[in-house]
Amino acid sequence: MLSRRALIYLGERLVLVAFTAVAVSSIVFLGVHQLPGNAFLSDRRIDPVALQAIMHHYHLDLSLFDQYKLFVSGILRGDLGESLVNRGIPITPLLLREATVSLEVGAAALIFTIGLGMVLGVIAAIKQNSWIDYLATATSVVGYSMPNFVIATVLVLIFAVYLYNWSGGAIYYEIGWNGTYGTLGQISIPAFALGFPYASIVARLTRASMLEVLRQDYIRTAKAKGLSDRIVIIRHALRNALIPVVTILGPLTIGIITGSVVIENVFGIPGLGKEFVQSILSRDYNIVIGVFTFYALAIGLANLLVDFLYTAIDPRIRY
Amino acid sequence: MYRGVGAFRALRSLAVVGAIGILVAACGGGTTTNQGTQLAADQTLRFPLNDDIGIFDPAFTNAAVDSAFTQNLFDGLLKFDKDMKIVPDIAESLPDVSSDGLTYTFKLRKDVKFSNGDKVTAKDFIYSWSRAAKLQGDYAAEVALVDGYKDVKAKKATTLSGMTAPDDYTLVVKLSEPGGYFVTQVAFFTAVTAVVSQKAIEAGGEDTWWTKPETLIGTGPYKMSARTPKQSLEFSAVDNWWGSPKPTLKKIHVDVISDFSSAVAKYEQGGFDDVGFGDMNAAIPSEDVLRIKAGPKVSELHFIPKTRTTWVGFNFKKPPFAGAAGKDLRKAFSLAIDRDKLVDVVCSHGITCAKATGGLISKGLKGYLGDNADPLAKFDAAQAKQLLQSADPNKTKTKGLVYQYNPSDFNKAIAENLQSQWQDNLGVKVDLQATERATFFSRRTKEEYIIFRHSWQADYDHPQDWFDNLFTTDAGNGGTGYSNPQLDALVKKADAKKTEDALADYKQASQLMIDDAQYAPLVYALGVFLTKPYVKGPQANAFNDPYWNELSIAQH
Repeated sequence: MLSRRALIYLGERLVLVAFTAVAVSSIVFLGVHQLPGNAFLSDRRIDPVALQAIMHHYHLDLSLFDQYKLFVSGILRGDLGESLVNRGIPITPLLLREATVSLEVGAAALIFTIGLGMVLGVIAAIKQNSWIDYLATATSVVGYSMPNFVIATVLVLIFAVYLYNWSGGAIYYEIGWNGTYGTLGQISIPAFALGFPYASIVARLTRASMLEVLRQDYIRTAKAKGLSDRIVIIRHALRNALIPVVTILGPLTIGIITGSVVIENVFGIPGLGKEFVQSILSRDYNIVIGVFTFYALAIGLANLLVDFLYTAIDPRIRY
Repeated sequence: MYRGVGAFRALRSLAVVGAIGILVAACGGGTTTNQGTQLAADQTLRFPLNDDIGIFDPAFTNAAVDSAFTQNLFDGLLKFDKDMKIVPDIAESLPDVSSDGLTYTFKLRKDVKFSNGDKVTAKDFIYSWSRAAKLQGDYAAEVALVDGYKDVKAKKATTLSGMTAPDDYTLVVKLSEPGGYFVTQVAFFTAVTAVVSQKAIEAGGEDTWWTKPETLIGTGPYKMSARTPKQSLEFSAVDNWWGSPKPTLKKIHVDVISDFSSAVAKYEQGGFDDVGFGDMNAAIPSEDVLRIKAGPKVSELHFIPKTRTTWVGFNFKKPPFAGAAGKDLRKAFSLAIDRDKLVDVVCSHGITCAKATGGLISKGLKGYLGDNADPLAKFDAAQAKQLLQSADPNKTKTKGLVYQYNPSDFNKAIAENLQSQWQDNLGVKVDLQATERATFFSRRTKEEYIIFRHSWQADYDHPQDWFDNLFTTDAGNGGTGYSNPQLDALVKKADAKKTEDALADYKQASQLMIDDAQYAPLVYALGVFLTKPYVKGPQANAFNDPYWNELSIAQH
């Protein structure tokens, strides 16, 4: 259980995350209001009366300060307003749904990243300088140097097009989800595309820190005690080798969150990443602000989670 | 998703390879239409959109995406059929028009009902049109000819005084001035002239009634049955619908997929029956169009002329293109464009657009001048150079010109091609500037640009839509500051006439613009559709998707 001090620390951090989210959304809010024109201009002459009515509907006829007051009070109530382009759609429930979709894909990618990365790293370290090591290292160099949108496009080509044609439509990856959440099969490929570059980083890092740990005296002692290789590696080596890996979990989670922007668009996943691109392209400023707020929250919470993971891995770390 | 176990698709592919008999068994028993087509058991039409719909309230609908849906959810007095002919819809027949052209009398069908069961009467039309005039959506001017429009617009009245209902099924509309295009505007029901239910709007709220399946009440053959914002839309056929043909498709399923390469891939997997419906006919990436065109599925590709023309506009108030003095220069800039080269580069070798050689009113529309009828569309580098030489011998006037456009792949490709052609064929260096769409439109409307991209998509098949919006002196969307009193008078005269009688006048007006070298024509858009061969029924026309109730899914 968390100690009292840890709880206080957690509280402080949560306040900080909330503050960051409000600050980020405020900056975006002020930014989009500096852009010239408005979302309702088209190549058609709009009647001033109608424009006035619609501006009033969205409170755009108020002064920037009054709009900001409304915006902040809305945010504090969890109300991000209404879409400017797809009229009548309240933003908060929309983004909440999309966030859970992204969470589903992101969590799958994260599990895959850590799993594959650690397995590759450990094997490469144990069999250092063997062909297995070279293969694992080479794989991770490829993974690390290929951007995820390339991987995603190639995977679509292979699984959705070639496999479909080759099998005559019997087995294939079906693009675009029917319904809000994907099936395990549907998640697997986007999760792979999203996680593979990061799995490569994890693999390299695990390998390096495993190699270092394996040369420590206490490993030699453990071996001298007559413990089996498996126990030495899992219980004594891996746990200590994990600390640098956990350190990069923070940036890695953020990488997966931001990477979803590309992946969701390629695979047609109705998540937050797709919304990010679409809202910007359609100049739906209200949603843009909302998406940024969600991202700020997600990144803040992910960092917080990683910090608490430390305590689980390394008993010396206390908050 | 991987499909391995007992997949329906596996059976189907087996059938293709092997016995035809299995195919029939795999697809299940269907029914036969009276045309003799064997229908599939699942009558669901599936197609993608690249973004969610905007607004379904007819008083506000302003996007082709939205009207592709509202045309199946609502009705007006008249409508366009699949051949773009005006036919009665809720009206029993075309209206009686008084001899002075001011009074239109519509007789209504007595069996028309909203999807909530309420009967539609003439009063519903008075409510619907007055409401639209009051709310002043982008297309409110569709009813601007009706007497009393100005008062309602100015909030001095709530009801259009020109509309009366002597009985429940007779609607008399008095106009404030004769307009031959009025019937066309009435038939353009996907915007303000559709009938809506006062009861449903009051129950669902003025701003929100159309957002929810429960309160989106119309008279059309389909109703919205489910909506997940920004993800999917679903429509189902209305039971015992009053009109004809009775809907065969039971369900329409729409997925929002922003990347249209993915949408095409899903179509090829059998996940969609069509790509292009819902005004997505310009959304298919040209790589995919070229690939499919070269492959075995080429027969599933359809190119349909769309009513959009793109041209170069000139500023008539600021040098160097201003007025009569700038005429030679305008002409030079137009004649210096090799449009064969242009369409080759910007429209995937001319498959997604065609060169505009018959005036600005695009091919397939009333008022089109005929192929190669527009001398401004000729490519003549020698004459262009000569004109430039006489108008601007020292090349001081054409120095530092900036071609303005709003960014899109298509607009950018055109801009870059024009830049290189003007450089090669005229020796004039033109700079390019892309400005974000909203700002671009607002500046262009304020006539701030000297030379710029312009385009127009016809709202309905009538030249009035082009002249009154773009070319007359007080047209709001021209961006040129062009003013020709002769043209104004001609258009005013033509607007008042019946369409058939007015065409000659409009063509003469087009000729005046050619004589003035008012524009440099570029291209007419073509719409690209991918449709599975088992989707039976009419193709989309220049304006609309086919009505859903005219389509069916054959057994496959």
